[in-house]
Amino acid sequence: MASKPNVRRPRQGASVHSIGIKDKLNAWAQQHQLVAVETLIRLLTKPLGSIMTWLVIAISLTLPGAMWMTLDNLSQLSDRFQASGSMSVYLQMKLPDNDAQTLLKNINGMDGVASTRYISAAEALAEFRQSSGLGEALDLLPDNPLPGVIVVEPELSLPQSDVLALSAALAKDRRVSDVELDTAWLDRLHALLALSERVVWVMGALLALAIVLVVGNTIRLSIANRVDEIRVTKLVGATNAWVRRPFLYTGLWFGMVGGIVSWILLAIGWLLVSGPVEDLARLYGSDFELQPLGAGAALVLLLGAMLLGWIGSWWSVFRHLHQIEP
Amino acid sequence: MSMVRFDGVGKQYPGGKEALSNVSFGLDYGEFAFLTGHSGAGKSTLLKLMLQMERPTRGKVFVDGDCVNTMKSSLVPFLRRKVGVVFQNHQLLFDRTVFDNVALPLLIAGYQPAEATRRVRAALDSVGLLGYEGRNPIELSGGEQQRVGIARAVVNKPSLLLADEPTGNLDPELSEEIMNLFLRFQKVGVTVLIATHDIALVERMGHRRLILDHGALHDSPAQPSFTADRTEDDYGL
Repeated sequence: MASKPNVRRPRQGASVHSIGIKDKLNAWAQQHQLVAVETLIRLLTKPLGSIMTWLVIAISLTLPGAMWMTLDNLSQLSDRFQASGSMSVYLQMKLPDNDAQTLLKNINGMDGVASTRYISAAEALAEFRQSSGLGEALDLLPDNPLPGVIVVEPELSLPQSDVLALSAALAKDRRVSDVELDTAWLDRLHALLALSERVVWVMGALLALAIVLVVGNTIRLSIANRVDEIRVTKLVGATNAWVRRPFLYTGLWFGMVGGIVSWILLAIGWLLVSGPVEDLARLYGSDFELQPLGAGAALVLLLGAMLLGWIGSWWSVFRHLHQIEP
Repeated sequence: MSMVRFDGVGKQYPGGKEALSNVSFGLDYGEFAFLTGHSGAGKSTLLKLMLQMERPTRGKVFVDGDCVNTMKSSLVPFLRRKVGVVFQNHQLLFDRTVFDNVALPLLIAGYQPAEATRRVRAALDSVGLLGYEGRNPIELSGGEQQRVGIARAVVNKPSLLLADEPTGNLDPELSEEIMNLFLRFQKVGVTVLIATHDIALVERMGHRRLILDHGALHDSPAQPSFTADRTEDDYGL
């Protein structure tokens, strides 16, 4: 260095060095890669400082994730119910009992009918007398005001359209006055599911906010720990983007690790619960199986977690980094 | 055009303390000058103005033709890459090796690793610390740490080298060694400005002196070695 001649031309001399655009782009990409790998290694090799953050993120993701999984399973189950609405077939008033028995046999012989139950007019009246407490008033009536009823349970596998066709066919019978599909409970279930889904969304949004705050706070601490480094790098010409980069990547990795831990928690939860659920389903004569989190939902969970981690670190970096000047 | 030009620069800190008042001077490309004055005379402030670590309350500061005090903050990093700075407390990072400390400006400027390694070794060689790459700066003596700081300041081949009390903690022999190092950088075309209160050393070296006294600047042209008058005594040194 010392052997070079004295250079005094303006804007020249030892200071002039140039790097081409292509080299700059390459260097930029390399720098990203380097920072990404470096921050990830830093996070994984020193887990003690950040393990709490991972767990908080993982739990915040697991709660809505588990609720989502439950709802997903319930709605799949209710889709099956949709095809199996039982129906009440009201008979003509004063239909002779043997006609009713013949009709019962006919219905039992129909395709798609799983079971039937005949409630004669007399049985219906007795039941009503007991449950309504209007016994004395009923005694005053000259005739039984209630018709006989056949409750028809279609097969579970019967599609909705066939159930509707069955009810229409039964309504045409001259011995039948009316057919009523019993779907009120199904409507209630759907309404309940929709409500629960809304609750999951609200909870998910609150927990997402929690993740942003937790990551933001962790990044704030790590900025505070590296104030000297930030000052020195700014002093030797680091741009704000350069200083921000490792923190943003750290936030991204926090989200990713939290997401993966959350996958593990959800898988453990599924393993613990799926056995008993299937036993329970078997008792109800169902072959229902608890489905784990689907690949799509798992990916959304992971990417969402990374996005939240990134947002958290942005928020923190924007609030604190510009205060650190050399 | 000069490397550095101050036009009627004043700096008043919040609270009323006037650090600099109406300071005007210029440094030519490749010039070597000392900045002296009692402590609190405004030496550090003057250096900070050139890096936009502070902004003047009056006047203008030019570095390499660009007005520093009106410069957009997005351009400041590129200004700082042109200027090497050496501090009394050398501002080294103790969580990494000597190599990584010196390589930091190159990493920021986006050098390829091979080129960066070459330059770091050249910079360490120029301050006599080749072979120290893997050491942690905390293991080094004060003089060695100061030289690591200098290597970091020159590794990116800046056109302007500023030093704030670079020999503050060093014994006279080491101080002279460090000053000779700065002279060698000047010989390859770097403009050098050194703030120091080591008057004996400044007089021995006999270069141009900018003397700050309570915020006002007096320019003293290059003196032949050993014959400088002792004007500094008047300023409480």
